[in-house]
Amino acid sequence: MTTAALTPGRTASQAAARRSGTVPVSVVVSAAVIAVVLLWSLVPGLVTGHDPAVGVPDDKFTAPGARYWLGTDHLGRDLLTRIVHGSASSMTSALVAVAIGVIVGGVLGLLGGYLGGWVDAVIGRLVDVLLAIPGFLLAVVVVTALGYDTRNAAIATGISAVAVFARLMRAEVLRVRTSVFIEAARVNGGSTLHILTRHVLPNALRPVLSLAVLQFGIAILVIAGLAFLGYGDPPPASDWGLLVSDGREHLLHAPWLVLAPGCVIAVVVLSVSRISRWLDQERNR
Amino acid sequence: MSTTATLPESTEAPRRTVRSSRGLLGAAVGRSAQALVVIVLAYVLVFLVLAAIPGDPVSAQLDNPQAGFSDAEKARIRSFHGLDQPVLVQLVVSLGHAVQGDLGLSMATSQPVTQVIGAAIPSTLRLAVTALVLAVALAAALGLATRLLPEGRLNDLVRSLPTLFLSTPNFLIGLVLIQVLAVQLGLFSLVDSEGFASTVAAALTLAIPVSAQIAQVFITALDESAGQDYAEVALARGLPPAQVVLRHLLRPSLLPTVTVVGLVIGEVLGGSLITETIFGRAGIGMVVQKAVATQDVSVLLAAVVLSALVFVVVNLVIDLLYLLLDPRLRPSEVSR
Repeated sequence: MTTAALTPGRTASQAAARRSGTVPVSVVVSAAVIAVVLLWSLVPGLVTGHDPAVGVPDDKFTAPGARYWLGTDHLGRDLLTRIVHGSASSMTSALVAVAIGVIVGGVLGLLGGYLGGWVDAVIGRLVDVLLAIPGFLLAVVVVTALGYDTRNAAIATGISAVAVFARLMRAEVLRVRTSVFIEAARVNGGSTLHILTRHVLPNALRPVLSLAVLQFGIAILVIAGLAFLGYGDPPPASDWGLLVSDGREHLLHAPWLVLAPGCVIAVVVLSVSRISRWLDQERNR
Repeated sequence: MSTTATLPESTEAPRRTVRSSRGLLGAAVGRSAQALVVIVLAYVLVFLVLAAIPGDPVSAQLDNPQAGFSDAEKARIRSFHGLDQPVLVQLVVSLGHAVQGDLGLSMATSQPVTQVIGAAIPSTLRLAVTALVLAVALAAALGLATRLLPEGRLNDLVRSLPTLFLSTPNFLIGLVLIQVLAVQLGLFSLVDSEGFASTVAAALTLAIPVSAQIAQVFITALDESAGQDYAEVALARGLPPAQVVLRHLLRPSLLPTVTVVGLVIGEVLGGSLITETIFGRAGIGMVVQKAVATQDVSVLLAAVVLSALVFVVVNLVIDLLYLLLDPRLRPSEVSR
């Protein structure tokens, strides 16, 4: 009891991993999960022999078992196959969302932090506004304006993430900007663009990248939420959020239709955030 | 930087209170003005984004040949809704009305928007407040458990719970709660969506991911206070660990925790969209869903700006409370 009340910070296993300098088991498992999902996305046919779109009507609502590992839906389609075939879309759209957040938010933060003055003031207000509108609502508004499909849901999710990246990038730039080496570069006659791209950006990038990993997990959740509400591609697409929403009608007699895709989302996001936290700790060592 | 700020205060002690109270008021006015600007800009931003929607619900109804409107009637109705004006003119007119509390008419049902939103507020308010209370309680329990449990597997497990909570999609939590609590245990009926048990279940759906965010900040803050000298001294003097936690670790950890409670309001409001859909509650989230389905721009705009307003006002109040409670944050002491 005494020691628990006192030790600052980490858990026992994390402390052990820090001492030995090895990668914690949970991080290895998380990386393996991500690798499996990437494999699903790249070669979906490799994992299962079933067809994602054509079912066997006689086998509808089969509970998970040897033949259908995760069971079948109301048309007798293999759920695992549908999850595997939906992973490419779910992963790509999360990637697109994060890319938009990093690039747009990064540029805004970089300009605001480095140039200061009215540029910073204008960008600062925009970021304030984006932060004030609840993220999921903002994504819904943007996807409504763009039209419902998975690509637009990804764009909307990216836009709702712009503010957090802009804020972090600005803070990092302000930290780096006053360093001696930036001063030296300026004294040496470096142009603003040169200093930004060669000196400020590389030094501010690491925390932004670790946030990007975390946001990748959040983007999967937001996009799944948008798909769940029907703002993504319509069926027969099999985005993970859409699968849960399809399974909702059969929750009572075929709960696996909701549980399996829902748990896949949770496990993937959990793995991503474990990796992100580990990257963060490595950086702070 | 610090010398110029502290010098006059230390030499002229009596004037200090006057200065700092004027600074306090100034800061309060300044932050309120900033909040106002943010809300107005949010209105402008959402208005412009929604203006990008191709077509509008009024035209969609009018252009239906079965409705049998003549061209002159169509033009008259469109100009009644201001749809024949350029977007920027529409924006200025709509913003001018909104400032006076007139949010216009729903484009789908022609009801006043304030009525549509007003009818939905009580349900969402009950849900959001219950969710926040549950989230704070859950986060407090997790945070205190990490301090009071001995170091080891169980403690590690508690520490990893917030990440698990944050990673689980809220629709999964909601559907599992319905399946277990309503269907298998029969604790509430799905038909009576506004009942107490149903409200608590819906609030729990919202509270679980939100509590994780609060717990993460609370646990970090507790860990930091535990590393301070005064905590070690208290423990060395023989105070029981539970007392150390309550007397010495809790108070300094509350400041960052309250800040994050203000910030998660956004998650609660955004999350209510999915939660209300799953539990069939007629709140703001459901209004947003319907407005999206019918492209009812005026209702959608009002609902989103209202959410931003709630977020901004709550965080403004927390900000101002800090200025009152923590002298270190007042401008006269920290000014450059």
